[in-house]
Amino acid sequence: MPVQKFRSVADMPDPPRRLPGDPALYKAIAGIWKFGRRANPRRFPPGVYKYRSIEEMSRAQEQWLSEHVQELAKQRHGR
Amino acid sequence: MDYEVLERLLAALESRGVKYAIFGAVALNLHGIVRNTEDLDIFVAPEESNIERLKAALHDAIDDPEIENITAQDLLGDIPAVRYVPPTGSFYIDILTRLGDAFAFADLDVERVAFNDLTVSVVTPRVLYNMKKDTARAKDRLDADLLKREFKLERD
Repeated sequence: MPVQKFRSVADMPDPPRRLPGDPALYKAIAGIWKFGRRANPRRFPPGVYKYRSIEEMSRAQEQWLSEHVQELAKQRHGR
Repeated sequence: MDYEVLERLLAALESRGVKYAIFGAVALNLHGIVRNTEDLDIFVAPEESNIERLKAALHDAIDDPEIENITAQDLLGDIPAVRYVPPTGSFYIDILTRLGDAFAFADLDVERVAFNDLTVSVVTPRVLYNMKKDTARAKDRLDADLLKREFKLERD
């Protein structure tokens, strides 16, 4: 693939969208998800959690993310 | 999200005849916009028999007695949002029967979309865009912009 140069990140084109049914789409999804799990492995506390609203559910998600980031920072500073 | 587990889950939802619609990042992926994600978001029809089929499908795909704590009583009552984290803890499933006042299962525009050997139910790019465009999360607004460009959507 040739080298392409851009004056701004905004000028860089999005990667081409693959259409549903194209085997390359599913290969790309599986590849990105596998990379994500390896690069940033997370463990969520197993169980069933119940929320009275999507906002409450989103806040719980943000809380887990915050705890994960703090834990990562602790591990990295502890090295 | 584990790709093989997703295949297993969606195959189970289909074979059990669950009335569902995928939204969120997995929906983006299935429409061709590839993203990493750690969860599967599904709307389910708020019917007792449908919630029982959903639980049967989850049992088919995941060996976990905790699934019994997902109840029709909750999802049809005061608890429209349930998060289930399987024993592996590597991902979770968000199950919704409604999303505020803006979205209910019966009002969703849904498409049947190819996924390997399956065909699965996914909200349309327009619905995804409407869900994401006005949220507080920056990454949702970026996804909304991308959906708008890729699917040539106009703002309502």
